Amino acid sequence: MAISSSFCPTISISSPRRPSPFPNSCCTFATVVSSQLSKEATKSVEFQGRVGFLGLGIMGTPMAVNLLKAGCDITVWNRTKSKCDHLINLGAKYESSPTEVASSCNVTFAMLAEPESAIDVACGTNGAAKGMSPGKGYVDVSTVDGATAKLINKHIKDTGALFLEAPVSGSKKPAEDGQLIFLAAGDASLYETVAPLLDVMGKSRFYLGEVGNGAAMKLVVNMIMGSMMASFSEGLLLSEQVGLDPNVLVKVISQGAISAPMYSVKGPSMVKASYPTAFPLKHQQKDLRLALGLAESVSQPIPIAAAANELYKAAKFHGLGDQDFSAVIEALRGKLQRPEH
Amino acid sequence: MEVGFLGLGIMGKAMALNLLRNGFGVTVWNRTLSKCKELVEQGASVGETPAFVINKCKYTIAMLSDPSAALSVVFDKDGVLEQICSGKGYIDMSTVDADTSSKISEAITKKGGYFLEAPVSGSKKPAEDGQLVILAAGEKALYEEMIPAFNVLGKKSFFLGQVGNGAKMKLVVNMIMGSMMNALSEGLCLADRSGLKEQTLLDVLELAAIANPMFKMKGPSMIQSNYPPAFPLKHQQKDMRLALALGDENAVSMPVAAAANEAFKKARSMGLGDLDFSAVHEVVKAAKGSGEA
Repeated sequence: MAISSSFCPTISISSPRRPSPFPNSCCTFATVVSSQLSKEATKSVEFQGRVGFLGLGIMGTPMAVNLLKAGCDITVWNRTKSKCDHLINLGAKYESSPTEVASSCNVTFAMLAEPESAIDVACGTNGAAKGMSPGKGYVDVSTVDGATAKLINKHIKDTGALFLEAPVSGSKKPAEDGQLIFLAAGDASLYETVAPLLDVMGKSRFYLGEVGNGAAMKLVVNMIMGSMMASFSEGLLLSEQVGLDPNVLVKVISQGAISAPMYSVKGPSMVKASYPTAFPLKHQQKDLRLALGLAESVSQPIPIAAAANELYKAAKFHGLGDQDFSAVIEALRGKLQRPEH
Repeated sequence: MEVGFLGLGIMGKAMALNLLRNGFGVTVWNRTLSKCKELVEQGASVGETPAFVINKCKYTIAMLSDPSAALSVVFDKDGVLEQICSGKGYIDMSTVDADTSSKISEAITKKGGYFLEAPVSGSKKPAEDGQLVILAAGEKALYEEMIPAFNVLGKKSFFLGQVGNGAKMKLVVNMIMGSMMNALSEGLCLADRSGLKEQTLLDVLELAAIANPMFKMKGPSMIQSNYPPAFPLKHQQKDMRLALALGDENAVSMPVAAAANEAFKKARSMGLGDLDFSAVHEVVKAAKGSGEA
């Protein structure tokens, strides 16, 4: 496998808090592009190479924005073109297909909502693979099952390009704040190359070995998360039904051994039956479904996850798929109510 | 301040020692009297019966392991009821169901005594470190008077209203905890069987929105199949059973808790009841793909 020597960009990351020669200026000193775009302290990076970004949904948009603000040369594509407008207004280039993005860039990221889209964007008629060639890299940060990751890997590598899967842990706010966790696997040299870009979008990254390991790790983490949210929902509902104040339950939990950021963040809005979408319920259910598939393939019974999955399915069936996954609490109520939003 | 202390098990011993170390006079009782020895060495007095302790002390704390022990200490011969009277306070910090707590409360107050239920969230180490979370309910005046003791025993106290509310709050918290432990165990097993490193999963979890002290504390020892009892599995299963009964009484749907309870029951049947509740991991590990849990 040829590792092209033409693809060795000079990479450095500037500290977001380098002292400014103009004490009253609120711009970072790091790059000219960065200071034109944002007055907040942001991470910045010098990455010699063009970066493509396919998929500008809840996650893709803030991730691409962070790369742009850090000084990257970004080219975007999204199935619904209007979703590219924000990035274009910030200075991103646009191409009308994944093929064209991939062929005009050194590294192309993809952030799609489910396996079918990820496959289509990578391997479809106007897919990225058609624009790939030796020296280029494709980094799929979508959450998919292992088989999908391996399929995309094969299509990309058949072109001579490099492939990395790197699904993320973290939802909308961590994406906006550049605080994602990347669970990468695949080509180690591509991982090293894009590490500075991952560091712009995230707070930490793991290299897990062969393709499929990133997908598996993400599914395991989200399986635990789905079960925890379902259990938390049972607790909130039970406390309410036996005459306790569920807000006090949230406070009690925050003091003890099971205190988790997710509970403190979601608890108060769940008590008010409000589920503003940071992580769509339909995607949480997709992840549980894929985790159950993985578990079956390795002969591991996961009854708690299976019970939780039924609740998410029920919630989806009642039209709550686009609400935040915390809306699963509605599936436990006797009469499913329509939540306020 | 002088307090009586009934029950010197995993929790009671640590709590009584804490009070002694912080300048409280403590008179202890335990069903197996030999367990009082270490407390006496640290300056405690001994009472031969619960009644004796009640007679001697204005305030008496009880820390028993389950509803039947909590009832026995109150209602049996030489029990609390024989000496409880006006001016005396009884603080039951055991984890029991709301009915047990109400029964005890009624009997105590009928004899003129004051009652406070105050189950705790936190196990052996938080007890040793005075970092418990105290979930009190019942007589507000008694709660106020116990604040100096609660400040030594715990990091935070809540007053939750009428008797029963403390018991219920504790059961809800432990129900969530039992389900979370099962979720962690399923995650570790799935990671392992998928060819991932379990420690890496723990490292990822520690950074994620679902990070919590329990995963951090228990995860590494679970990977080693090590389950030193901080919170015995049989007590966790008792709590899940009581929480499910509470849900049952109120027609609340709890399928995840029900599944978790099955795993704890199975663990008990495998003889793991006296190990830490994280030993449920052995059940999840042993399960084969045929679907038995």
